[in-house]
Amino acid sequence: MELPKINWKQRLLLFVGRRRLLKVEGDSMYPTLETGDAVLIDPRAFIATGDIVVADHPYKQSIKIIKRVESIDPGGRYILKGDNPDGSTDSRTYGTIAKGDIRGKVVCRVR
Amino acid sequence: MFERFTSVGLEIAEAHCDAPCGVYDPSQARVEAESVLQLTKKITDLKMPDGGDQAASTAYQNTLTRFIAIKEERAELAKHHLLVLWTDYFKPQHLEKYPELHDLFWKSAKLCSSVKQEVSLEHAQELMDNVKRVHEIFWETKGKDVPWYTAS
Repeated sequence: MELPKINWKQRLLLFVGRRRLLKVEGDSMYPTLETGDAVLIDPRAFIATGDIVVADHPYKQSIKIIKRVESIDPGGRYILKGDNPDGSTDSRTYGTIAKGDIRGKVVCRVR
Repeated sequence: MFERFTSVGLEIAEAHCDAPCGVYDPSQARVEAESVLQLTKKITDLKMPDGGDQAASTAYQNTLTRFIAIKEERAELAKHHLLVLWTDYFKPQHLEKYPELHDLFWKSAKLCSSVKQEVSLEHAQELMDNVKRVHEIFWETKGKDVPWYTAS
């Protein structure tokens, strides 16, 4: 469940544009991630159940969400859930997420 | 060094819940519990007028009744604010860190009832002590150093 801390390899991949840096706001991924944490995502990674992902919000333009993949349904759509389900709006509310809306897999925390 | 650059101008990944998070502060419970303590003191200190004086007796009963009525109301409000913190703010992960949490709130809610039923300085003070403990735990979970204070 825990995310590894950033290492030199990930820093280098960020430097060459293979990783993106994002800041987390909100507590729906507590205790794995908290407000103010920063993470790196790999936009090309294969996404599997259990991965933390950043995706486009299904209804709100320009908002990105960060959640964990709880499962992938038979149609290949992603069911996302916060690690802190009591404080999370996720697939339980807005349904499944299309593969094309997943922006990347969270590979490490920066701090 | 690297970490220092990470907070400015970054794209945000939202880990929110869509319902706006409530603003919680145990000071609401503190104000009410403190009022109950003060009213209990006032009721205990109130002198009954010496017999015969109708006006003094009426004034005494009016004051006493008001003290009791306000104590009743404030104790109920203290209970309300405590229950809101207990059921809405605190989460299972807080309970893991503070196993006393359920017992603390349960006993505090019961104290809110006993301070209504009785005129007990001891229980009113105990309620204040419990609210102080709630204050300490609450602000620890927020990672903020908020000193305890009282208005009186």
